[in-house]
Amino acid sequence: MTPASGAPAGGWRRAVGLLRVSRFELKISAALVLAATLPLVGALFLAGRVAEENLALGLDPRVVARLATVPALYGDLFQARKRLYAEQARAVARGLPPDAARASRYLAAAVERVPHLRRAAWVRKDGAVAAEAEDPGPPAEGQWREAPARVELPGGDRLDCTFEIEARFFAELDEARELAELVQGVDALRAEIRRSYVRAFGALLVAMAVVAAGIGILLARRTTRRVSDLVGAVRRLAAGDLAVQVDPGRSTDEVAGLARAFNAMVREVRESRDRIVYLEKISGWQEVARRLAHEIKNPLTPMKLAFQQLDARWRSSAAKDVDPEFGRLLGEAGEIVRDEIGTLQRLVDEFSGFAKLPEVKPEPADLGEFVDDFLRTSPQVREGADVELVKASDRTPVALDRALMRRVLANLCANAVEAARPGRARIHLGVARARDRAVLTVGDEGPGIDRAQRERVFDPYFTTKQSGTGLGLAIVKKIVLQHGGEIQVGDRPGGGAVFSLALPLT
Amino acid sequence: MRRVRSRPRAPARLTAAAALAALALAAPPAAGSDAPGTLPLQLAARGGRVVATVDLATAFPASLEHELANGLTNVIAIYVAVIPAGGRQPAMLYGRVVEILFDVWDEKYQVTVKDPYVPQGVRLVLPTFAALRGFLSQERGLDLGPVSLLPGDGFFVEARVEVNPLSKEQLERTREFIANPAAGTRAQGGSRSMLGAMASFLLREPDAGADVTLLRSGPLGPREVPGR
Repeated sequence: MTPASGAPAGGWRRAVGLLRVSRFELKISAALVLAATLPLVGALFLAGRVAEENLALGLDPRVVARLATVPALYGDLFQARKRLYAEQARAVARGLPPDAARASRYLAAAVERVPHLRRAAWVRKDGAVAAEAEDPGPPAEGQWREAPARVELPGGDRLDCTFEIEARFFAELDEARELAELVQGVDALRAEIRRSYVRAFGALLVAMAVVAAGIGILLARRTTRRVSDLVGAVRRLAAGDLAVQVDPGRSTDEVAGLARAFNAMVREVRESRDRIVYLEKISGWQEVARRLAHEIKNPLTPMKLAFQQLDARWRSSAAKDVDPEFGRLLGEAGEIVRDEIGTLQRLVDEFSGFAKLPEVKPEPADLGEFVDDFLRTSPQVREGADVELVKASDRTPVALDRALMRRVLANLCANAVEAARPGRARIHLGVARARDRAVLTVGDEGPGIDRAQRERVFDPYFTTKQSGTGLGLAIVKKIVLQHGGEIQVGDRPGGGAVFSLALPLT
Repeated sequence: MRRVRSRPRAPARLTAAAALAALALAAPPAAGSDAPGTLPLQLAARGGRVVATVDLATAFPASLEHELANGLTNVIAIYVAVIPAGGRQPAMLYGRVVEILFDVWDEKYQVTVKDPYVPQGVRLVLPTFAALRGFLSQERGLDLGPVSLLPGDGFFVEARVEVNPLSKEQLERTREFIANPAAGTRAQGGSRSMLGAMASFLLREPDAGADVTLLRSGPLGPREVPGR
């Protein structure tokens, strides 16, 4: 929300204005930041506790200790298997026949009979293989690793047995070792991990708090900046700037309502001031008109009587027949004098009428009905122009002085007729409601009023016509202002001028 | 000598970088710790470089077998430094990381030794804990640096042995686990959380391992470096 008028120009000033922080903004922003950051202290403490408790749950010392013993358990398993295989090899050796042929069949049967025995070989002292047998089939449990078992035989010979052991044991051992080492590492770093979680949590919270504070500051700034602008506008108003306005924006909150109310108040003050100024000016001109009328009117009658006497004397004089040329000259002069006196008399009448405008005595009325009455009781208007009346609203209750408002309407219609000369005028009358005003428009199809002259057309004695006194529109405006209304002139769509009278609705 | 606690750890990346070693050696002993133990050592000059052989047996007691034979990857970081008399900052130093995995099937120790000269590591298999202990205790041929860097006004040699220190690799694995816990358990479709990712990012390396043994030689001088 920035003052709509009179704002300092220049990009640097706008930039400085954006960076400027008012005390109000500072207080709200500080409150927001405080509100956003205070809970973080407790949150950080809780984060530390949560991390500690989670680590305690996940890193139970018994679990860590048991995990560390898993490889040893596999070691025990391997030892047991080795002892078993050694015992089985010894059992095979005990039944080994002394001759090689029978030994081969015996070993084949043993390979088939003894679980996990893949191969058995009777190796003589010199290294020669006396008999051997090997399981040709696939291993019992898929992947396997060899587990040798050797039995010394009498005479220096030996029985080499190869058993199978599940390779998955070794994979499981590797995985268990990896997991145990990882858990032990995590356990060793437990305190540091807790601190890192607190730090991470704190960093995230601070980041969120910064974002929240930033958003809060922006949001607060939208309000505080509007309030600051409003304060500035009030100061300018106090300094006499009645043109100041503030932009209420698109919000519907209280600040926007305050801005709209401020604008309306400033408009009303400005209009009141304009009205007072205009009326004071008109009063001055009315005094001038009164004096002029008085000063002009006083000599007119003696002048008129003197010439009438002169004319009467001439008509009864004998010289009339002697000098007919003088009689003709006197007649022409008398004609001129009477015309000019008549003109001066009309001028005096208009001045007097302007100077003696009565006070407005408003009465409740409907503007639309008033216009209907005016047209019905003013046949000269319809005789001089084609009149079109459009009433956009059924009810337009106002308070008006019928006599004076008739004068207003008559003056405007006369203006419209004058504007259309030498052609026949078309007058467009309209009655409508606009917010808290009843609006009467009087439009013509004349040449319109130049934009530069629109402000001056309501000044007394200002006229663009050869024969006008320039008082008609001044009288109109004074009467309208005395009704609490306002009048403007503008272009009529389609050509011509349009006068808009706005009167307060009652 | 002091032993605070024992804890198996994940395999370590090479952490024997000079700066890290310097920091580790410059780190003050933990509160309440005992005075450093005595470090038996031999120094020699070979090819213009100071080579040390240290006996770290006291840092590897027999009771350590239970820990080192647990089937998990254990890491031992060894830093040896020459510290000028009256000073704290090492004038020369050497660091190595030993990764030990006891193979529960073969019942042997698989050892990988990494140092600045062999960052990818040298692998060997030791059949028993006694062999492993002997290997760890007798650190031979430790290249401390050029002879010219030996403090002329006297010095002492300090060894720092950390059992299962927190390594950068372990820190990275933990960070990944925090950022994506489901992936750590090999579950399908693990998802990363913002809080976890931030916590992972903000996870700092803790202080140097608490399971530290410090050994220190007596005062030495340049004359005690044969071949110099």
